[in-house]
Amino acid sequence: MNSRERLLSALKGNIVDRVPCICPGGMMNMIITELMEKTGIMWPDAHIDANKMADLAASVYEYGMFENYGVPFCMTIEVEEMGAGIDMGSKKFEPHVVDYVIDSVSEYKELKALDINSGRAKVTTDAISILKSREDGVPIVGNLSGPISVASSLMDPVSYYKELRRKKEDAHEFMEFVTKQIIEFGQAQVRAGADVIAISDPSGTGEILGPKYFEEYAVKYINMLIDGIREVDEDFPIIVHICGQMRSVYSEIKQLKADAFSFDAMVSIKEIREHMGDKILMGNISSFALESADEEKIKKMTENVIDNGINIVSPACGLGTQSPMENIQAILKTVKAKN
Amino acid sequence: MARSKEELLKLLSDCVFEMEDEEVISVAQEYLDAGYDPLEGITEGLVDGMNRAGVMYEEEEYFITDLLICSDAMYNGLDILKPHLPQKSLDGEKTYKCVIGVVEGDTHDIGKNLVKIMLETAGFEMYDLGRDVPLRNFIDKAKEVDADLICLSTLMTTTMPGMKKVVEMLKEENMYGDTKVIIGGGPVSQTYCDKIGANGYSPNAVEAVKLAKLVVGMGIPA
Repeated sequence: MNSRERLLSALKGNIVDRVPCICPGGMMNMIITELMEKTGIMWPDAHIDANKMADLAASVYEYGMFENYGVPFCMTIEVEEMGAGIDMGSKKFEPHVVDYVIDSVSEYKELKALDINSGRAKVTTDAISILKSREDGVPIVGNLSGPISVASSLMDPVSYYKELRRKKEDAHEFMEFVTKQIIEFGQAQVRAGADVIAISDPSGTGEILGPKYFEEYAVKYINMLIDGIREVDEDFPIIVHICGQMRSVYSEIKQLKADAFSFDAMVSIKEIREHMGDKILMGNISSFALESADEEKIKKMTENVIDNGINIVSPACGLGTQSPMENIQAILKTVKAKN
Repeated sequence: MARSKEELLKLLSDCVFEMEDEEVISVAQEYLDAGYDPLEGITEGLVDGMNRAGVMYEEEEYFITDLLICSDAMYNGLDILKPHLPQKSLDGEKTYKCVIGVVEGDTHDIGKNLVKIMLETAGFEMYDLGRDVPLRNFIDKAKEVDADLICLSTLMTTTMPGMKKVVEMLKEENMYGDTKVIIGGGPVSQTYCDKIGANGYSPNAVEAVKLAKLVVGMGIPA
């Protein structure tokens, strides 16, 4: 099996020759400063140039870090296209939002619609096309920021969270608008040649919202997003990453229409397996350990997640940019050796 | 018939606990008009309600969005009662000062805002530097106000090293030990805290209050 066949089989619960080892990109950052220095392709340049974005994504595979390509390298493209001010970061920091666009959910009509033919949305889909043209059997993961993370980056999140309760009607209209924009971007990524879409919604966790609002806002709009992406291809494989503790929202998470669930380091595979049954689980090598521990420790952690029945090995969260490459490579080495 | 002081204190507490951010205003006004002690109205009424909400949060009955709305009710009540506090009513008691912010490179401030609210509720004097804060600013502000505590937050793995840097700068300035540092945020852990030599880690905003009091040696609040 090549990497692409292996990942796609694993995502649909089909037989694989061994577990795949990936890191999606987007919020689940897989770019480290050491890699930028080795390739000479730097952030923030790689956020705004399709060739650099594609080459840096490809180098993750070429340096034996993970068995996939993934773009973009941040969570700010959707909101930038809708009008938010972005600081493009540095070779250490990811781009981040510095200026909100609106003050209330009721003002959502002032937001720009996302144009897939301009800005960094186009850079991303171009990068996907470039990677696709390699036809080298490496799966391409396109990344989307989840609806609540996008919405709460367009306005002050404290006001946003309050208005989810106080202005429900407007909040839902706002969420629908936001989700439609993300769908546009997602569909464009699929058409450009992405094999898988990963959605991360770190601002819409059960810990923040509680089960009731998690269901009312997170589940509803992530599912709307998934349905929208699958208008292009009805079986399209989708990964959802869930941040933080999950115990208050297991039954709600099960309603998500994703193929695979990626989760944080503090959640044990045993616990999640108990609640999620035969769902495809992905994770969860501590990104803190990847940054600070040594190869031997990473090897043990990787063996441990495989022994506990993980379906896809990946980091538990985005990589810190100062993580040593040796530590990252140790995951894939272990996965291969364990075969 | 006018309601008793106890009844009104209970109502103030309930308004905060039950997120009644409008009703709390009229109750606070009624409490004042009856001539009751505004400080007690704050500590035994509003703050009590916020603390009850904090307990529910620890029991996973309340979530972050609930606490935010409770805090709105608390602040609405404070706006009524605070102007009537006698000047220097806290004379003779040490004021614990705390500088708080989200470290450089990160703009996610929901957790920071909540910790700020809870520490304010517990009686800390808060200096909020906001989000995406250049690391040097934490040191400068702490020096300027003679802070007892610095609280650092980040939700991104990529910006965590900033926390380490702040601890190092405190050491360079010979402030380490006098000004304590506590850290929190999604990717942060006790292990990381120990590694960088911070004085404590808290997984959530309610724990952060206990931790903050512990590291600065703050007694039982008034």
